[in-house]
This record gives sequence, structure tokens and C-alpha cells, in this order.
Amino acid sequence: MFAVLKKELKSYFLTPIGYVFIGLFIAVVSFVFYSYTFSQHYINFEYVLWDSIMILTFITPVITMRMFAEEKKNGTDQLLMTSPRSIVSIVLGKFFAAAVVILITIAITFVYFGILKYFGSPSLVVALVAVLGFFLLAMSYISFGMFISSITENQIIAAIVPIVFFLLLGYFSQSNGIFELLSLVNMFQKFPLGIIALKEVVGYISFSLLFILLTIIVLQRRKSVK
Amino acid sequence: MIEVKNVSKKYGDFEAIKDISFKIDEGEIVGFLGPNGAGKSTTMNMITGFIEPTSGKIIVNGFDIDRKAKKAKKEIGYMPENVPLYNDLTVKEFISYMADLKLIKRKEKKAEVERVLNAVGVKDVQNKLIKNISRGYKQRVSLAGALVGNPKILILDEPTVGLDPKQVTEIRELIRSLKEKHTVILSSHILSEVSQMCNKVIIINKGEIIKIGNPEEIENQTNETNIISVVVEDEENKFENVIKTVNSIKTVKFIENKENSKSYEIECNVNDDIRKQLFKECAKEDITIIEMKKKESSLEDAFLKLTEKDEEGGKK
Repeated sequence: MFAVLKKELKSYFLTPIGYVFIGLFIAVVSFVFYSYTFSQHYINFEYVLWDSIMILTFITPVITMRMFAEEKKNGTDQLLMTSPRSIVSIVLGKFFAAAVVILITIAITFVYFGILKYFGSPSLVVALVAVLGFFLLAMSYISFGMFISSITENQIIAAIVPIVFFLLLGYFSQSNGIFELLSLVNMFQKFPLGIIALKEVVGYISFSLLFILLTIIVLQRRKSVK
Repeated sequence: MIEVKNVSKKYGDFEAIKDISFKIDEGEIVGFLGPNGAGKSTTMNMITGFIEPTSGKIIVNGFDIDRKAKKAKKEIGYMPENVPLYNDLTVKEFISYMADLKLIKRKEKKAEVERVLNAVGVKDVQNKLIKNISRGYKQRVSLAGALVGNPKILILDEPTVGLDPKQVTEIRELIRSLKEKHTVILSSHILSEVSQMCNKVIIINKGEIIKIGNPEEIENQTNETNIISVVVEDEENKFENVIKTVNSIKTVKFIENKENSKSYEIECNVNDDIRKQLFKECAKEDITIIEMKKKESSLEDAFLKLTEKDEEGGKK
């Protein structure tokens, strides 16, 4: 797993992908931070994070679109799949490499908490809970994006399908009923309040696990259909 | 070393590989021959565990590629068709990643990467990005990737395609130098390449094996006639009469008239060598033989004959 993780992580920062993702996210966070803190004089890191997460829908595909689609297109999946590494370790390696990119993003974003802390007294615990929620949400996005990337060799499709999917989820979750539960963004709401709700945590983790598993199944199946 | 037992591969209704079986022993260099689309790559992809056969079994050095995948895959170095590589990595980074994927121990990794870089002669471009190196170098890097970890078996899919003649010779030399330490399977549609390098040939067409043997055997088996080409100086046009006196000639083909000489191709039975007789007869009639040569049969002819035969069989 670590072999793949290391290489994938390197690729994120050898190509513009890692910088584009982190740059875009920090740009949005900075803008929100500016409007909350300077225009409205809030001292609240959680709200900044809360308002920034919408952009994840559009930028996580930057990380996930190439994961398997590119390998398949270039034929490098032949190198991966004929190595003694198992499919599970390959999938997890790629997934956790993306997770590390998210962690780096979070670490940079947390600088803003430091700024607030210097001038005021925001709650560290609440901020950390919000960060946890953010991380879990990002993992869900990534697992879905990775799954889509595993079923196509077209990176554009691998990017657009997750965006449309998450936009639709967001749209339907505005109506009441069963769809309300589906929205990954809605599930985030309690975290900025400092609440770690079991339902939401389990929800995010199950969503991620489901799509990691589906990715593994897709790759396993491909051996026999290909 | 490698055992392929009754392997078939179906894509929907299309049968890409039809019940093939063969065995490859340690130290052999085996050439997979076949026209494009014959199933060479499919077979190789199945041996390496990239795809699964629809039915049948593949045993690699005693390990079932399906059930003992990890152990079996460790024995194989694979150079896939079209040399897929990670373009964003440098040559050295790529080899080092291959070493990681192939479970090389951390302590041995550095030395192993060096060894492989030197073995294929890409040391001078080791710090270049793969996207910036030439096709010939890419081919070498891909071969290096297969060599990492010193696997017992090397599977090379069309290793010389897309290279210029000089590079082709270099890569061939390289592959030939591997034969002491590895069992090599390579595929090609260039027959001279296979007859030069391999000591066993598997000819495959439309998913079926039509012949297994060493190149000379196959050449001789399919050879039904001897062809002798002659160039004579024959001002009085007596050669055609001379030929009639020689037995066992099947056909005589006039090829061309060049200045004072004429060239012919004479076909006769495979067991008869008429050159001596022809020489004597011509001498009697005062015909000067400028050139006389038995045409060497080639794997090319054998291959064409075999695949054509197969085609006819298919039509019936």
C-alpha cells in the first residue's frame, strides 16, 4: 500500500494537480475568511470552513479524475495489476494518497485558526470537530470520485460525473423525505457546532467504505471481462 | 516453468483464445508468432495475471496465477505492448517505483535499481523525465521495469515495435544477453527476429496454436519443394532444352533477361538436389552458369503456409 501511496503523492505534486486543488481551496477559504472576519467581525473558524465546503464538490474531482482513468488510458494499469501487489492495497494506496492531500490542505487552512487565536479566543475543540467533519466529507467525495475514475478511461467523464452527482444530491436533499438524508453536505451541519454526531460520522464512513469496496470490485471484475 | 492448460478466453460470443495448451521449460527462449489480432497479447496478459481466462489453468513456476497470484507474479517480469510508462516520473523514479511494487526489500533496492539501469544502458538518462526521452530509451526503460527484482521469467510483448533498425539490433542484443539468467517469452510478428533469437516457436492464429517446435524444424516440415535459382549466359537459348533432360524438376520459371544473362527459378522435389546434374548438363552444352543457389527456406514461408492452410481450413 505504501509503495502506491508514496508514488501517487509524488505525482500529485510533480504535476499541477496538488497545487491546483490546494490553491483553489485556500483561495476560497481566504475569501470567506476575509468577508467574515474583516467585514463582519466574526471570530469563528468553523463558519469559515462551513461556507468553504461547497467548493469541494467542484474541486475534489481534480484529485480523483486521474486515479484509475489515466492508468487505464496509458496502459500503466498493466504494470500495477501484474505486480505482486493486491488490488486492495493498490486501491487503498491511491485513496490514502488523496487523503494526505486533504490533510495538507487542512493543515494550511488551520493557519487561519492561528490568526484568530492570536487576536481573539476561538474554541480549539469546536474548530477541530469542524475539521474532522470536513475531513470525513472530503473522504466521501474522494471515494466516489475514485469509483467513477475506475469505471472509465476518460478523465473528463471521471471529473464531470461526480460533480453532477453531488449537485443532484444537494438539489434533491432540499426537498423533504428520504432524499434529505442523502446529502453529504447536510450531514456536515452539526460538526461546526462542535457536535460529533454518531449518525453523521457513521454515514460518512459507510459512504466512503461503500465506494472503496465498489472500486475494488470493479477492478477485480475487470480482470475477467477484459 | 510455465504450464498453460486448456485455456480459453471469450469476449461475449467471440472466442479470442480457443483451448490452448503448451509448456515452457526453464531457460527456453520462446517466440510467440502470429498475425495481428491472433491472440498473442491476450495469451501474455493471461500468463501475467492481468486478465483471467474464461476457462483453463495457468501455472507459473509451480504457482497457479489465479490462486497463488502474489507468488506467481513475483516470478514474472512483464513488458507490455506499447510500453506503458509513467511520463511524469524520471527514469530512476520509475524503476524505483517498480522495485517497490515488486516487493524489493528496502536495503536491496538501491543496488537493484542501479543494476537494472546499467543492464539496459539507460544510466545516462536516469534523471530525465520519461516523457522527454526517445522511443528507443522508453523501450529500454520498459524492459528495465520488467527486469527489476531479477524475475525468473520475462514476458516481452512486441519488444522491438516502433524502433529504428539500429535500436532494433540493440534491443535484440539486450534480449539475447538475458537468456542465460531468464526464461524469456517474446511475441513478435517479425519472423526473422524470432528465428534469430528463439529456440522454440509457438505459432498462433485466430486464437489457436497451429504449430510448436524449434524454428528449423518448422521451416523444414512445411518445406515441400526445393527452389534453385540459376543465372546463365545462354546465347543460343539451349538452356530450356537442357532442363528437360534433368529428372525430378517440377517447374521452371523464367525470371528475367538481363544484358547477356537469363535467370530462372527451378522447383524440384525436396529430397533431390539437382545442382550437380544441372552443372554437368550445362557444361556439355557450353552454357555458362554465372550463379546457382539453393533458396533457403525461411520461417516466413513456413508461417505463411501454416496460416494460409489454417485460413482454408476455416473456410471449409
